[in-house]
Amino acid sequence: MRYPKRRGRPARKVQLAAAAMLLLATTVAACGDGKDDDAKASAPKAPATIPELTQDPLTLSFIWFEWPPAKALETFANKEYKKVRPNATIKVNTVPNANWHDAMFTQFAARKTDFDIAILDSQHIGEAVTNGNILDLTDFVKSNIDVGAYNPYLLAAYGQFPQAETGQRDENASLYGLPLLGDTWTMIYRKDLIGDKPPQTWDEMISTAEKCQTDHPGVSGLAFHQANGSDAAAVTYNTVNGVYGGNLWDAKNRKIEGVLNDAAGQEAMSVLVDRMKPLTAKGSGNWFIDEVNAAVAQGKACIAFNWIAASGGLLDPKQSTLGTTREQILGKLGFATLPKQKTDLVPLGGMGMHVSAYSSPANQAEALNFMKWFEQADIQKKWAKAGGVPSRTDAIQSPEFLQAGPFNQVYADSVPRMRDMWNVPEYARLVDIENTNVNAALNGAKKPKDALDNIAKEQQAVLDSSGRKGGGGL
Amino acid sequence: MSDPVSLTTDRPGRVATPKPSARGRSHRTNDRRLAVAFIAPALLLLLAMSVFPLLWALYLSFTDYSATRGGTANFVWFGNYTAILTSAQVHLRALTTLVYVIGAVGLQTVLGFSIAYLISRRTHGRGLLTTLFLVPMMLSPVVVGLFWRFMLDAQFGVVNSMLGSLGLEPVEWLTRQRTALISLIVVDTWQWTPFIMLIALAGLTAVPKYLYEAASIDRASEWFRFRTITLPLVWPLLLIAVLFRAIEAFRLFDLVYILTNGGPGVSTETLSFHVYKVAFLGFNTGTASAYGILMVLVVIILTQLYLRYLNKLKED
Repeated sequence: MRYPKRRGRPARKVQLAAAAMLLLATTVAACGDGKDDDAKASAPKAPATIPELTQDPLTLSFIWFEWPPAKALETFANKEYKKVRPNATIKVNTVPNANWHDAMFTQFAARKTDFDIAILDSQHIGEAVTNGNILDLTDFVKSNIDVGAYNPYLLAAYGQFPQAETGQRDENASLYGLPLLGDTWTMIYRKDLIGDKPPQTWDEMISTAEKCQTDHPGVSGLAFHQANGSDAAAVTYNTVNGVYGGNLWDAKNRKIEGVLNDAAGQEAMSVLVDRMKPLTAKGSGNWFIDEVNAAVAQGKACIAFNWIAASGGLLDPKQSTLGTTREQILGKLGFATLPKQKTDLVPLGGMGMHVSAYSSPANQAEALNFMKWFEQADIQKKWAKAGGVPSRTDAIQSPEFLQAGPFNQVYADSVPRMRDMWNVPEYARLVDIENTNVNAALNGAKKPKDALDNIAKEQQAVLDSSGRKGGGGL
Repeated sequence: MSDPVSLTTDRPGRVATPKPSARGRSHRTNDRRLAVAFIAPALLLLLAMSVFPLLWALYLSFTDYSATRGGTANFVWFGNYTAILTSAQVHLRALTTLVYVIGAVGLQTVLGFSIAYLISRRTHGRGLLTTLFLVPMMLSPVVVGLFWRFMLDAQFGVVNSMLGSLGLEPVEWLTRQRTALISLIVVDTWQWTPFIMLIALAGLTAVPKYLYEAASIDRASEWFRFRTITLPLVWPLLLIAVLFRAIEAFRLFDLVYILTNGGPGVSTETLSFHVYKVAFLGFNTGTASAYGILMVLVVIILTQLYLRYLNKLKED
């Protein structure tokens, strides 16, 4: 028996071929899009003068992570900025801390953002600048901001790229951001358990915590960040590293191996893992900001370390078991600058405001106007009173700030002692390497020396891998 | 005798019908256009959402492209693939993933089948029991991760509180190398055992009763009936459930992200979690694409081997 030829086949083949060609064409078109981006691979410049502002209703959006200062900023800005720009509404979008970097940079990658002002950690600036994601504010700052009103290092830390040397600012370098919230670690100690006078040296702090833990069963000697998410464990190690005279890297020669894991670095890691970790609560190996605050509020720690900007809740009687009033809690809790040892360095925290290069011209103009408004002396003082941590020297020294919280004097005293991490485009990978290894050492998954040597080796490989063909990021 | 060709349709074996008239052909063409019109939106969606991204990822996997840096995607050919396959970091994550998949899916299979077997023997309340057992499966993995994180907290968690009331020492469930992976397996088992149970229950209820009746007449023991009737008949269906679970477990991300964040250190980092870091921490899009393609290939190859075994089982 013979069968007729199927009529559908050739037609189907043509359809399949057409679909394949369509896909190929789309792919090629998409590839072509990548080439177009090449021309935009440097940060566009913001105008020196603020363009004419719209009178239409406008929402100025920020992106930050979920924590009390984010809410404080939205409330403060809507109350105060509306007085000068009634048509503008401020919206502070928040994401969990662990998603903060990804939430901003995935939108930057799409060359389209739903925020106008990115609140970047100081270390994110390098990545955003080299990718052309934020505006170059150098000319704008020259024309609109009184740079002499700031501690030079604070201005540099939240805006300058390439990174400034610790404690300095390069006046010839470009600025890509302005300070929003200053921050550093405060030592929180139980006055009722260890006395009114805080420990002055790191060694003294450890022995005081040890004695307190022994004398008060159920209360751990120390509480600090140990988690392997965000920059939690990394900041803890970097702090001890700084105090014991270590260095994170040789910035000029881009050298980490042999610098981070030198004798001072090894001593710092040993202090952290062998002397400090045994004084922490069991299972605290994944603690970050909230967990440390919870331990303090529930009276479970003699001495703790946390970011000043996140410490406000400790004085809230609703969140604390230490007293039914703020005064009662303050009778038990003391706040002090970090103890010194071989150096007096403290970690630089806080963030700056950076204008998205993909925001609409009207919103970019509004963002610049907001930044100019925000950096005024009287507004900075109001921000301090509203719970913010300002960066202008006059605001830091103002009674509005110093009287707003018991930890604000700690910040004022810490400003000249601050040191930052690396601000390079590879930051996210460097901090992940350090976080995971320090966390492993703190939780017994690695020996302290091995962990530090691994950090140095892997971070060096990241810095050296820029010319590598394939396999980047592993 | 007329020409057989003119009397056949394009499907051999069907009863021959006369050649359709021009009007009939027109109807058929219209039907065909209508069919194309109906499936076109779904097809376009499939092309746009699945096929194109896959091809795009395949293209990127041969380049050094970075989504944030932009710029030209330079071809590195198999550079990304070689780097991934020879990376000690990837080998470590592959081992973690393997231990996790075997541990979680193995435990779920044993528990799921046991529960299904026990439920199938009940005559009253079977529906209610099945529904109750299915509740964990209906929850979002993020929600499951969050509440297990609280339950397993070493300081304030209910699990350690219960251990304490029994006079046992608290356990650091999520911050120690050994217990962290075990915790992940336990939480995944809690959520996904009902899936295996459901499929196994469907298989168990489909076993013909007359086989058991015949076995009873022959005075076969309970164990003999289970070994020679129940298990062989349910086995192919159970294997399909295991296949689905193994694929799911292989690409585990959410529970790791919420419960341990890959820690302590990187000891609970699975392949999917590592891909996420490669893709979003350094935005090495080319490497991440190659990583993803390799993971898809592993799943396809293992699935093919598995299906062949399943077919062989059927033929036997």
